[in-house]
Amino acid sequence: MRFLKPTSARISQWLFLALFLLLFIQTEYRGIDQINAAVNGFFRADPLVLVSFLLAAKTWSRLLLPAVLLCLATLLLGRFFCGWVCPLGTLLDLLTPRQRRTRPLPWLGGNLKYWLLLPLLFAALFNLNLAGLLDPIAILLRGLTFFFYPLLGLAAREGWVELYRLIGEQRDSVAPAYLLVKQYLLPFRETLYPLSFFSAALLLAIILLERLETRAWCRHLCPLGALLGWLGRLSPFRRKPAGLCSDCGLCRELCPTTFDQGTLNREECILCMECQQGCPYQRISFRPVWSLTPSEPVMPGRRVLLGGMAGGLLLAIPARFRQPEASPLLLRPPGVQDEDAFLKQCVRCGECMKVCLKNALYPAAWQAGWEGLYTPLLIPRLGYCEYHCTLCGQVCPTGAIPNLPVEEKKRQVIGKAVFDRDHCLPFARKTDCIVCEEHCPIPDKAIRSREVRLPGLDGVVRTVKEPYVVEEICNGCGICEQVCPVETRAGIRVYPVKDRRPITAAASVQAVHQIEKLPY
Amino acid sequence: MDRRTFLKGSAAAALLAPVVAQELLAAAGPVVAVAEGADYQAITRRAINGVGGMGRYVRPGATVVVKPNIGWDRTPEQAANSHPAVVKAVVEECLAAGAKKVKVFDYTCNDPRRCYMNSGIEQALKGLKKVECKQIEMERFRMTPLNGQFLKEWELYDEALAADVFINLPVAKHHGLSRLTLGLKNIMGVMGGNRGFTHRNLATALADVNSRLKSHLTVIDATRILTAHGPQGGNLADVKVLNTVIASADIVAADAYATTLFGLKPADIAVTVAAHKRGLGEMDLDRIRVVRV
Repeated sequence: MRFLKPTSARISQWLFLALFLLLFIQTEYRGIDQINAAVNGFFRADPLVLVSFLLAAKTWSRLLLPAVLLCLATLLLGRFFCGWVCPLGTLLDLLTPRQRRTRPLPWLGGNLKYWLLLPLLFAALFNLNLAGLLDPIAILLRGLTFFFYPLLGLAAREGWVELYRLIGEQRDSVAPAYLLVKQYLLPFRETLYPLSFFSAALLLAIILLERLETRAWCRHLCPLGALLGWLGRLSPFRRKPAGLCSDCGLCRELCPTTFDQGTLNREECILCMECQQGCPYQRISFRPVWSLTPSEPVMPGRRVLLGGMAGGLLLAIPARFRQPEASPLLLRPPGVQDEDAFLKQCVRCGECMKVCLKNALYPAAWQAGWEGLYTPLLIPRLGYCEYHCTLCGQVCPTGAIPNLPVEEKKRQVIGKAVFDRDHCLPFARKTDCIVCEEHCPIPDKAIRSREVRLPGLDGVVRTVKEPYVVEEICNGCGICEQVCPVETRAGIRVYPVKDRRPITAAASVQAVHQIEKLPY
Repeated sequence: MDRRTFLKGSAAAALLAPVVAQELLAAAGPVVAVAEGADYQAITRRAINGVGGMGRYVRPGATVVVKPNIGWDRTPEQAANSHPAVVKAVVEECLAAGAKKVKVFDYTCNDPRRCYMNSGIEQALKGLKKVECKQIEMERFRMTPLNGQFLKEWELYDEALAADVFINLPVAKHHGLSRLTLGLKNIMGVMGGNRGFTHRNLATALADVNSRLKSHLTVIDATRILTAHGPQGGNLADVKVLNTVIASADIVAADAYATTLFGLKPADIAVTVAAHKRGLGEMDLDRIRVVRV
């Protein structure tokens, strides 16, 4: 196979793909509160994330410094990222058919990638940051996180459970081996996600496209590739000779991305050096040429530019529509205080949902409108926010979820819990319960109970503990909703609130004080 | 008496002494051994020796389950979980008595990884041979007939059911619903399913489960107790350091005595009363022999 020839670019690709997968597996709690800082590295070094963040949030984040460095490197070296680093590109190279098809697909040609990139960037400027939806690394990560990794975990788990059904306790003899694999390779919990099929389908579509044309996604669609190509065309490194030689023309076959017009298209050259390696006459070299005249026009054309701007605007306004009944369900990760600011910064990369300790975070499908597609939502009935856990903030590449020390994170307000007296057992059935109070992690208890004497449904008067929420110190972690033993709708639910300022120590003291004065 | 007779006599006495002691113990109601001191491993051993030594409960070759409370993502000083030093001492005593395997687990309330880690228990048992400290695997819960007064059947953990010896190792602490959680309540950690359901009639439910799954030995960790905002706590102001470990073969007696550490009477705790009525043990402090060791 051509791909197995270990050129420098190939070795680099393998290493970065291995690194990507390693970091992917590392994006999980493995006994240490502080997760490896590099797990979100691919996103922090992603120029598309950087540019859309700058345009939408209109502020700077130190987290994205690696992306600035990559932009500078691209300016200097060209679009090397796609041929040397990008894990999706490497995956495509691995899956490309033996007989490569280099003839461009007519329906994908032209300025299509700019028609994708520019509206995305202009929409970001108009406060709608959707770039992550088409970012290649995000597509890969979401496909793995929401579909393939749970699938792997489920397959392993089902097999393991089946083994127990077959041989019972004897399974323990092979347990150490399974636990070792589980500890280092498998997900701790196999979570099923909404949008899993869609995430996988997007990834598979890109892979299928590869069968029609080599690197079709990279050449005609990828907005990150378009951005890098645009930056890279200013690079002083140039191929010599720029075009095909009259007596050979082998480059056309060797090159995975360009040369369909007979000359090297610099914004599509991914510097894989395949042509240099394969040239039978050793004629080809890449060397710096210090000339300030770019070989191609700097802008893709006025029409595309204006069209992109209009497209961005058209995208940005209607996408903000949101069902009114959706808003009371939008619980965001801890530390997110303002919904609008969050939407401008969130990459929708899936890192927080991958790392979430209790699998409380899920990608929004319809709940947050078009604008919020793939943004993380906390669904307490499926998982709650663990009191001492700060992982989502640690892995967020843009700081949309702030990385807070644990003492601060504990005071962040996700929402407030409210009892539903039609479901909550002490109210509805006049029986004891207060499982919610038991699980409330706030040291002073944001859920408390008072004893009341009242006739039960059978008419017998008895003492029942009725719970109530101390709103001032409730952080909305959702464990109460999760553990509520009512099997229909939980007897307590967490609702989002506008004022998500952290619980202060003073509020805590005051709340406890007030309660003690109540005449129960 | 010549020397030979004396030696014979003392040898016979030494051999018979445990038997005699056992006879005495049986006659005078359950024994609760209470040990105090700052060395938690040492007091745990003393408390166990005070109720006849681990050899009385664990025969060589036995499979033992030690069930501490590892329910919460809290540190040892916060008194929400059994103290790792106490757990380690109990496990080591089991091994010294010749146990084939000692299994330590709890069905946690918070994330199991964090609970096992931050309780310090996983770390304390690391490297001990023949000791397993594994997280719960859901497929191992088995629907078990209880024929109780509230629970007719419930899912119980197969390793607890299959063990030769079940050692109950709770931490003594406050609980919002049952007022205190001690040995009888600690059994919840081997129950699967919708555990919150049992809160509707907690005392009866726990008596039902304890009737099916008997604790051969109960060791209550009262090295530090949580006096309010249980069962999780989190505020060190609610923690009282007592440096005490309690052991008894009678789970109700152990719970009854531990209740007094909180300034309460055994009759104040509905679970204790329900278990006593069910014939699971003695709760009358006058009939319990408290041995301070």
